[in-house]
Amino acid sequence: MNRTLVLSAILTAIVVALALANLVSGSARLTLAETARILTTHDVSSVEGAIIWKIRVPRMIAAALLGGALALSGYLLQAFFRNPIAGPYVLGISSGSKLVVAALLVAASRYGITLHSSTLAGAAFLGAAATTLFVILAARKVRSMSILIVCGVMIGYICSAATELVVSFADDYNIVNLHNWSTGSFSSISWNDVGSLTPLVAAGSVFVFFLSKGIRAYLYGEDYAFSVGVNLKVFRVLLVVGSSLLSATVTAFAGPISFVGVAAPHITRSVYKSSEPRTVMAGSFLVGAAFCLLSDWLARRLFAPRELSVSTITAILGAPIVVSMLLRRKGGSRV
Amino acid sequence: MSELRADNLTVGYGGAPLVSEIDLRIRPGAIVALVGPNGSGKSTLLRTLAGSLAPVRGAVLLDGADLRTVPRSTRARTTAVMTTARTSTDYATCFDVVSVGRYQFTGVFGRILESDARAVDEALAAVDALEFRDADFSRLSDGQKQRVLLARALVQEPEIMLLDEPTSFLDAGAKLEFVALLKKLARERRIGIVAALHELELVKAVADEVVCVSKDGLVDKIGSVAEVFQREYLKKLFHVKSDAFDQIYGFFSESPRRAEERRSFPDVCSRNATSRVKFLMVQGTTSNAGKSLITAGLCRVLTQDGFRVAPFKSQNMALNSFVTEDGLEMGRAQVMQAEACRIKPSVYMNPILLKPTDDCGSQVIVNGRVVGNMRAREYFEYKKSLVPEILAAVEKVSESADVVIVEGAGAPAEINLKENDIVNMGMARLVDAPVLLVGDIDRGGVFAQLLGTLELLEPEERARVKGLIVNKFRGDKSLLDSGIVALEERSGVPVAGVVPYMTLTLDDEDSLSERFDRKKRGRVNIGVVRLPRLSNFTDFNVFEQFEGVEARYLRRPEEVDDLDLLILPGTKNTIGDMRWLEETGMASAIREYAKSGAPLIGVCGGYQLLGESIADPEGVEGGGSIRGLGLLPVASTLRAQKQRRQFRGSFVAPTGPLATLAGAELSGYEIHMGETAPTVEELAAFTSEGTGYCRDSVYGAYVHGLFDSAAVVRRLVDVLARRRGIALETSAAVDYAALKEREYERLAAAIREHLDMTLIYDVLGVARHG
Repeated sequence: MNRTLVLSAILTAIVVALALANLVSGSARLTLAETARILTTHDVSSVEGAIIWKIRVPRMIAAALLGGALALSGYLLQAFFRNPIAGPYVLGISSGSKLVVAALLVAASRYGITLHSSTLAGAAFLGAAATTLFVILAARKVRSMSILIVCGVMIGYICSAATELVVSFADDYNIVNLHNWSTGSFSSISWNDVGSLTPLVAAGSVFVFFLSKGIRAYLYGEDYAFSVGVNLKVFRVLLVVGSSLLSATVTAFAGPISFVGVAAPHITRSVYKSSEPRTVMAGSFLVGAAFCLLSDWLARRLFAPRELSVSTITAILGAPIVVSMLLRRKGGSRV
Repeated sequence: MSELRADNLTVGYGGAPLVSEIDLRIRPGAIVALVGPNGSGKSTLLRTLAGSLAPVRGAVLLDGADLRTVPRSTRARTTAVMTTARTSTDYATCFDVVSVGRYQFTGVFGRILESDARAVDEALAAVDALEFRDADFSRLSDGQKQRVLLARALVQEPEIMLLDEPTSFLDAGAKLEFVALLKKLARERRIGIVAALHELELVKAVADEVVCVSKDGLVDKIGSVAEVFQREYLKKLFHVKSDAFDQIYGFFSESPRRAEERRSFPDVCSRNATSRVKFLMVQGTTSNAGKSLITAGLCRVLTQDGFRVAPFKSQNMALNSFVTEDGLEMGRAQVMQAEACRIKPSVYMNPILLKPTDDCGSQVIVNGRVVGNMRAREYFEYKKSLVPEILAAVEKVSESADVVIVEGAGAPAEINLKENDIVNMGMARLVDAPVLLVGDIDRGGVFAQLLGTLELLEPEERARVKGLIVNKFRGDKSLLDSGIVALEERSGVPVAGVVPYMTLTLDDEDSLSERFDRKKRGRVNIGVVRLPRLSNFTDFNVFEQFEGVEARYLRRPEEVDDLDLLILPGTKNTIGDMRWLEETGMASAIREYAKSGAPLIGVCGGYQLLGESIADPEGVEGGGSIRGLGLLPVASTLRAQKQRRQFRGSFVAPTGPLATLAGAELSGYEIHMGETAPTVEELAAFTSEGTGYCRDSVYGAYVHGLFDSAAVVRRLVDVLARRRGIALETSAAVDYAALKEREYERLAAAIREHLDMTLIYDVLGVARHG
């Protein structure tokens, strides 16, 4: 227990440090002292103040919260499929969300409708839920976990292709934005967005914590979970809803972000050396937040002033982890 | 107490019936075993009983209420399920795993309170797994895992437990342990248990009721073990009409190993061969009565008379095993007897070999393969299930023999062990063999031995005894005559002969103790360190052919004196025996001896002892590592995998006094668990293929039978004699094989002279050729 607390404290410190790093760095060069002054004095009048408060703070908050949400969503999917390589991006669920959101955006711009961010989140949720159900159907057919992953990747491709198709019907000025969003980015997040996504992520996270008891039994197999009295039908629906809600929130606001959902729970399990759902969930949230903050920071810093897409970085950092897990699968890497 | 009932239940998937019309009642404290081939629907039935699968027809009733309508919590508090699925999680301790079973007792987040923790500990203690409480579950052995999973079911405080093939992944010992545990739990906690079991012997051991699910989806029989097995199964198994046997075996599923073995002798019990073959069994009044040699002698006599003879002994207990050409292990005595028959030894001549590992446990080897380690009590239970293996082995041996001479083990009158006997009278009954009973006059009281043994036998067993033999007689036989007459009168069994005491150079366990006690000094003296867990005894017999050369076993450091050659033999437990060497001061004595420049040879385990270190990373002998004698710059690592093979090579470049052996051919065998490598470059090779190294006067090799060839043993003895400054006559040296051949002829001549062969041919029921 002590170990868990100490590790959580360390992780929180890392998240805070990365959050600060994100505030300090960017195309406008600021020193740590300046940043600190702006933050403490709540200065929004200067240019620097505006940059920090209007752009970097909401972006930082979004990166942290959405990173955590992605990690949790990934963990739920891993529990559902009892497969450590499952995650919203790998299984094509993010792409499913993206497709529905893109379709909605294009349609809205064509007919001149302005959309509230919660509408987008709803659309993303629909896309995520639909894709998840599709993957579940596929999982019923194939017993092999690796093939399930291949199915997910294929679903992802199909959805991405369909998104491209939809985008080609979009007006020119929409395309740039849409393209930016569809590759995953925290760059255009406003305080408005933060206001919408925070309650969603908070509600989703609290909600899934209530599933921890069921997950603990479910990890040992459906029949076992049933035998100790888990209401399987309800539990499965709740898992899917929770996971879809969280991943949809991310996709709605930041586009599809790859591999965080797989990598974060894995890192958490190995760091905490625990498989206790509550510990892994809390840890995953922190690791996911740190992961996205780090990726976003790298995305801005590596080739500054040019900014990379976050997914590029998360893929570079996360994909090797997934590959190593696939390779070690025989050795029994488990949820 | 709750009761689970299947009421005219038909189970299956998607409405398709798999097993139909089952009526079953699971009573508190009773164990119901489900048996049947793979895919017959045992798991489906269990899932339906657990409620996770809806019945196709009929109903599962929990205390009279349809299980589908019983609230989840009630069901979960009554019924616990232990699944086969080998899923586990990383980073979960056994405590974590078991605590999941507290689902019904914990709050929304499933926090484990103190009362839950106590329940978990109690459940772990009940399955004797408390010691793994904080161990990583995924690192446990399969047997330990199953016990922990059983604890996870127990922690639900169930009244009914459903177990799907809980013993599938376990080795023989763990299987027995597990079912014994089940039985105990059922009795003590009044838990009703339904278990799908693969192994019929386990079913017999544990079940109160058996449900047989046949391939066509019918529940064939429900009844007690006695009803389902005894009449139908055992009768057919032992008295064996082939169709009945096949039906039984086809009907019940088998482990892959069993199936594989069965394929190699498909008509196990048709007894086509065994009905033609004549059996004769030699039993002794005590162990060490000389059964093995009498058997060997009879083997040779009958072979000389033109019969095809084969030896057989159902079970041997000995450390001193032999490796056949196929790399399988069997007892030495049957190898010796096979040699007497002039045939190749086969493991079927000794299907069961027990190698004691400590005072009350043994490694069990069936048909040459290691089955596992068992406690004496476990084995006592397990051996019942070996009857088919024994019959199959008899059949195999009978294929190319006219006469099979069966040797008993120990004494037939050990009335405490008579139940389920498979080595003495039980064996005689299995093959319907007449028996010769051998008494040992050397120990004294031979008349009491013979009469007392007969007295303790059941009438039908006594009727099998067709002749008595007084063995190991020294002196004037006429003094014995009056006793013989009285013996025949009292017992009503003829005395087939009085065999004199003989000293033979043969591989024979019974002569072992005599070798151990030998203290005689010769002109050339060879010492063999008698390690507590000594495992090969026969490598050094070859020296016995030389007049003036004495080989003796050494137990104490002061006995290591005036030696011309010191040998460290093989051991079952290198690390344990290394400790023994150090503790007894034997190690210093050996180091002292080595300084003198006289040759020191380590064979197999002895070779490992000579080195600098012995490591046991895989825990073969309990783990850890230990310093060796440090006389040879090699390091050994013990490995779980046993290496066994016949070896054909040569002595390469022996250093020091044995340089003269260079280039000599060497054929022997290897059997060891571990590997040894030099720790310095350019260490002189003692034997080829890296099997042995040497430096100065210290030699080590993995190969057994180093000295078996005439050329080698002669050169070696010559060297030793020369070092001593004496001359020994060695020109008549023979290969160990030739030496043994000579001994068999001597033995046969003695048997012919002293046993009434006419009587024995009569008993055997064959006409003497010629």
